[in-house]
Order: sequence, then structure tokens, then C-alpha cells
Amino acid sequence: MKSSPASVPATSETQNPVQASRLRRLQGLGIFCGFAAGAWLGGAEAPIKLVNPEISPITVSLVMVCGVFLARWSVPAFLRGTAHVRSDVRQAPHLVIWAVLAGCMWAVANTLTIYAIRDVGLSIAFPLWNSNSLLGIFWGFLLFNELRHAGWKRWLGVLGGAVSMFGGAALLAIASSHQASPGRATMGVLAALGAGVLWGTMYIPYRKAYLTGMNPLSFITFFTVGELATMTILAVGYRGAGPLWNEISNARPVLFWLMAGGFVWVLGDLFQQYAAKYIGISRGIPLSNTNQLWGLLWGILVFHELRGGSRSVYLLVAGGSLLMALGAVAIALSSATEREHSSWQDAAYREGRRYGIEAEYVRAGMEGREFGDAAKKRSLVDWFLILSTTGLFAMLALIAKLPHSDLSRAWGVVLCVVMLALLAACGTALWRTTRFR
Amino acid sequence: MRPERSPSRRLFSAVASDVHFWIPLVVLLGGLFLLDKLH
Repeated sequence: MKSSPASVPATSETQNPVQASRLRRLQGLGIFCGFAAGAWLGGAEAPIKLVNPEISPITVSLVMVCGVFLARWSVPAFLRGTAHVRSDVRQAPHLVIWAVLAGCMWAVANTLTIYAIRDVGLSIAFPLWNSNSLLGIFWGFLLFNELRHAGWKRWLGVLGGAVSMFGGAALLAIASSHQASPGRATMGVLAALGAGVLWGTMYIPYRKAYLTGMNPLSFITFFTVGELATMTILAVGYRGAGPLWNEISNARPVLFWLMAGGFVWVLGDLFQQYAAKYIGISRGIPLSNTNQLWGLLWGILVFHELRGGSRSVYLLVAGGSLLMALGAVAIALSSATEREHSSWQDAAYREGRRYGIEAEYVRAGMEGREFGDAAKKRSLVDWFLILSTTGLFAMLALIAKLPHSDLSRAWGVVLCVVMLALLAACGTALWRTTRFR
Repeated sequence: MRPERSPSRRLFSAVASDVHFWIPLVVLLGGLFLLDKLH
């Protein structure tokens, strides 16, 4: 944190607004990132579906988070080098606290979903925790000036789109549910709602970081510390260190799939973070929630999940998918105007004044530009992170077994190609427009 | 004259006086409480 808050202007009214053409480009990029996030977050479910259901959900979660941890350090090292992370922390050290807090929230929410599914089933639990995007819109409006001066058409687009996606998610969850009748219903509903509130509120630290100018690649490296620490404490506390270790040892043939799920999830989450940065949480989060559509595609096409389903199930899937797609389109067409964006700048400079951050750093972050000396070479630490993560994944791949036999490999390849095409296209767009800033 | 506070103290003081910080923290504590009840 810089000690010269005087360099930050009193209000953004004294600042020049972001150039209109640059703003449009960043908004388009954010929307693209939101859709790419949906594909990769949904694709992360595929490796996990390969895992034997006898492994306890807490252990599954912990191993997946280990994959997440490795990815969250190695991907930034690969893309920009950890020197950029250090440089970001020097500018806005307070965001380390926010990132760790957000990571803790993610881990608790993720564990709550396990209990929610156990107690009320996926069909009730999923729509309840999917309400997180509605809460995200609320916090975005209340705390970060999102949707201010947006006009009723954009309000209708964003709110109507989010409600439509919520309805679509509910239909899809009912269609894809294979759970037994609800048992401890009240606690299950509370767990699902709790997860939704935790995830919806977790977007406060996200927005805080990106308004201030922090790079998503830096934010996630600290986010994951809170995530892994909380998940480890919960897993050891609930399972006991000995039984947990035994379970992980016995699960060696599937560790690769779980950790690969974590890795894929991180790529999706990175796109989600860039979406939150460039189009705000009120638009970025609902767009990322299209992951449910992608999860369903994997389930139906690759894992034959709805095979032999009744006509009503297929109607639910078609209706739910249509509602989700319409909602996403409505949000994508409601990008922020220059007036709304200048309200975001007000919130950004408020953050800058509070934490004494250089105004130019905040502005460069909002415009997706480099700040300071951009040329930083990768260090030995970066190469160590990249090579050790690659080595560990290669080692786990060698001992991995494919437990699921009833798979459509052709569809699996098709979906992987689509995901990789999205990764390449969106990654290139991010590089060209912002240099992953 | 009061001695100037160290950068780390300034940082924690800025975070602690930010009402935005207490919203996620309270939600996190609520989540942990709920998790404990469920377990």
C-alpha cells in the first residue's frame, strides 16, 4: 500500500472517462470471458464424474482443491511470471487479506453444497445455491455502483436475464436429479441457501480487487491459500487425519481425474475473474453460471445420463436450456454504458482513497493496461512451479485408471475441441487487448 | 505528538474500518456455524 493517498483525486469527476471505443472493447471481452468461463467451469465436472462414488465427498473436494492450488500458482507463473504478482501486492497489499477471505468462503460454500445434495437432492439444492448471481447483482449495485445510470432497458436485461437463468437452472436441476426423497429437508435447504449466500457475498472481494486494479492472476494466487487451508482444516476435522490419509492413498488411481477437474475448473474460474473485472459481478457472474448447460451437455452426450428418460424429462431439459440461453443473451446485450462506467470509476477511486493506492494504478487496471515496468522475465521460481506441477500431473496420469466404461469418447473429444477452441480464442483476445492485465 | 503508525498497522486499520470487510466476514462465520450444525 502506497503511503501517498494525496495522489488520488477527490472524485472521479476530475478524471477523464475511459475512451468509448476502449470501453466497448473491454465490455465485449468481458462478455466473451463470461461465456468461456461457463464452458470451462461446466467441463470441470467431467473428470469428477469418472470417480467412484464410494470416496467421501469431503475427500473428493480436498483432492480437487489440491489440483486447484497447483493450477492457481502454475498458470500465473506460465502466463506472466510471479514477478507480476509481487508487483501487484506491493501496490495493493490489502487485497491479500481480501483474497484469502474469499478463498475461505469458497471452501465453506463448497462443503455446504455436499450436505445440501445429501439432504435435499440436487434438484432443490442447485437452484437455491444458484441464487448467488442474484445476490451478486444486489452487492454490485449497493456497494460498487453497478447498474447506476444504466436505464430501465439494461436493468431489465440484467435482472430479467438473471431471473430467467435462475428459472432455467431450476428446470435443469429437476431434470438431471437422480436423488432419493429428501430426508433432513430443513437443514438441507439451509445448507443450499447458505452456499448461495456465501458464494454471492464472495463476489464482494472479487469486485473490490478488480475495481482497485489488481490483476486476476495475482488475486487467485492468494485466494487459493484461503481455499486450501480451510478445506484441509475441514477435511482433517471431519474425517480425521489417519482415515483421510488412508482414503487418499487408496484413491491413487483416480487422483489424476480429481486434480485434473480442479485444473480445468481454475481455467474456467480465471475467465470468470476477468469477466467480473471487465463487466462487473452483476453481469459476469450470471454469464459464468451457464456452466450448468455445459455440465448437462457432458452428462447427456458423454456419460449418457438421461438415457431412457421420460418425455417430461426431455421437455424440462429443453425448456431449462432455452431459458438459460435466453437469460445469458439478455445479459450479454446489456453491457454498461459510459455513464454507468463512470459510476464504477467513482467506486474505484473511493477504494483508491481508502487504501492509499496510486490513481494511475487504479486507472490502468480499469482500462486493462500495463502499469509500470511491464517487462519482467520469468524467474527460476516460475520454472520450478511450472515444471513441478507438470511433473506431478504426469506422474498421477501414469497411475490413473479410467473407471467408467460407458462413455462416448467421440462426444468427449468434440466437447474438448470446443473447449480448447474457446480457450485459444478467449486467451488470444485477452492477450491482445490487455496482455492478461 | 503521536508516533506515525507502521505500514502494516495502517493496512489492518484501513481494512478493519471498511464496512465492506465485515459483510463477507460475518457471512463466513455464519457459514462455519451452519456447517458445524450440519456435521
